Amino acid sequence: MSDMRPQLLATAEMLFAAAPDWLVLADAGFPLLLVPEADGGFGGDWGDAFAVLRAAGASALAQPLGEAMIAAHLLARAGMAQPRGRTAIAPHAVGSVEGDHFCGSLGGVAWGGGANAVVAMIDGAVFRLPGSDAVRSGVNPAGEPRDTLTYDGAIAVPIGDADLLALGAFVRVSQAAGALDAALALAAAHVSSRVQFGKPLGKLQAVQQSLAVLASEAAAVNMAGAAAAAALDVADAGFELAAAKLRTNIAIERGVGIAHQVHGAIGFTQDYPLHPLTRRLMGWRSEFGGDALWADRLGALAVAHGGAGLWVEITRRGDR
Amino acid sequence: MTAAFALPPYAPPPGAEALRAEVRAFLVANPPPADPVRRANCWAVADRDFSARLADAGFVGMIWPRRYGGHERGPMERYIVLEELLAAGAPVGAHWIADRQTGPLLLRYGTEAQRQKYLPGMAAGRLFACIGLSEPGAGSDLASVRSRAEKVPGGWRINGQKLWTSGAHNAHAMLALLRSEAGSERGAGLSQFLIDLDTPGVSVRPVIDLVGNHDFNEVFFDDVMVGDDALVGGQGNGWAQVTAELALERSGPERYLSSHALLALLIDVVGDDRRFRNVIGRLTAEMWTLRQMSMATAAKLAGGEDPVVEAAIVKDLGNDFEQRLPLAVQAVLDADLDGSTDLTRLVAYLLQVSPSFSLRGGTREILRGIIARGLGLR
Repeated sequence: MSDMRPQLLATAEMLFAAAPDWLVLADAGFPLLLVPEADGGFGGDWGDAFAVLRAAGASALAQPLGEAMIAAHLLARAGMAQPRGRTAIAPHAVGSVEGDHFCGSLGGVAWGGGANAVVAMIDGAVFRLPGSDAVRSGVNPAGEPRDTLTYDGAIAVPIGDADLLALGAFVRVSQAAGALDAALALAAAHVSSRVQFGKPLGKLQAVQQSLAVLASEAAAVNMAGAAAAAALDVADAGFELAAAKLRTNIAIERGVGIAHQVHGAIGFTQDYPLHPLTRRLMGWRSEFGGDALWADRLGALAVAHGGAGLWVEITRRGDR
Repeated sequence: MTAAFALPPYAPPPGAEALRAEVRAFLVANPPPADPVRRANCWAVADRDFSARLADAGFVGMIWPRRYGGHERGPMERYIVLEELLAAGAPVGAHWIADRQTGPLLLRYGTEAQRQKYLPGMAAGRLFACIGLSEPGAGSDLASVRSRAEKVPGGWRINGQKLWTSGAHNAHAMLALLRSEAGSERGAGLSQFLIDLDTPGVSVRPVIDLVGNHDFNEVFFDDVMVGDDALVGGQGNGWAQVTAELALERSGPERYLSSHALLALLIDVVGDDRRFRNVIGRLTAEMWTLRQMSMATAAKLAGGEDPVVEAAIVKDLGNDFEQRLPLAVQAVLDADLDGSTDLTRLVAYLLQVSPSFSLRGGTREILRGIIARGLGLR
């Protein structure tokens, strides 16, 4: 699939720039990127998904594309047909599956209200559920729907083991890689054109040094996301996904403020295109696991190997 | 869409696992120091015997041609060996500069005679080099170099002083940047010379650092006479050569692993104590990411490209990580730094030596200037 990536990416960038509605994305086949060609999908790999979702993040695409990709991937992997309409994912559940019925609620579901089906992680196992009419609407800082869906005995079909939280984290890492690079590009362009003290702001060393930090943080997220995708393409990627999401959260913490600082007041306005990037980044830092959750998980993985063993484990995984 | 750092992830070279196993077996037979303080920042720890044994095992001059004593391995194989040595805390300081910098520079710019004279000893781990760049009046502003080489019949007469020269007291030769054209300014009129440090008129004096270690030196040249064959590369081409050399040294594993001994020791000491899990997780995430960035940059270098901006990013982020590591451990450690345990001794040591990490090989401010230039701001 990688040989088709440049063309795929060019199509994605053109499409995302036009702020498409869901049907346009679905017609173009993007939600089925990770579904094998034999099952009617695109047959893409995780590196392709990283590239496309990075482009979505850079365009501040206000659609749950990555979530739909993950859902379609897990359904196809279980040998199940793709439901009509849009499938959401739900990493947080309250309640349980008794027999084959789920009673409880699913939280933090992106665009959960309009979903025809939901792939949900409940007590560590993954199920396919129908959509729900019992919706409590919520929004993330960028105004995107983050809904809570309630169920009272809906059919829950098991679709195998997967770490839905980690796969969702991969989506946010990929989007953040693009959004941080896009914020960096806006910031660099702004300080190159905005004249103060008789010269462009970018000629001031203090501004240059700040933007170098933002560039480095964006670089770290792009590398972490690409490396996590490579690990997903090879084998289990639990370690890499934990590290990548945590590093992304750290980069958002360090980088978003710089993008705003060098913009001054203009970056704080509704009309200027910085906030669609930064407000999403602020929300993504929490979604699919905040710092504490991933630091705790990764810390547990690290100490399980011992001081010298951690290095052995990291290199072993990298050499696969 | 543009990106400051769009390198593909590292793909391991064939035989990576077997090579790692070879290095680890060597390290079992030739263990790094038992004292964790000696395992920290280990590429500044010189052990001539260790370097000789490492070379005998084929792990020095790995990518150089066989006719010069090298082993014609690939650059990513060399990377694997280096990261294994550093992660284990091996005392690689004696040969580090010759292997990383001086040897490759001779292969690129040196004459056949210079290569024959120096490379076999370097590859044998028995001939060591140091880098003569900084001077009392030229630090980050390297183009202010004033030490001079005057052309005289049959050679050059050298006068001046180098400062902050790491490892000069262990080295046999210095690759020095000197002003070879009287009255020249800035980057013009500079040349590189390889000077045997036992030449009459050279004197090396220690500069003891804040913890009492002898790493730095000042090196004086008092009417030192060298032959024409001491000039390396083109006369007046020193600035271009040095700039290329600096880019080569910035993205290696030594730029993020200097404090690794502390992360390893912390894990061994605190185990699964929940109070430390969070900080261990955060440090692990940063370490893993930096390793990916360093290797991806090394792979680009190995492909013959010149990743100046990527290398600056790796070094800046890596140095920041190496410096924050002891601070982060100190913050969660409920103990005074009284030297009563290995852990507190190592934290205290790294807190004191880590300020140098973002000075050596290009300061943080210089690196960020390079990154800003990559963004089109300079």
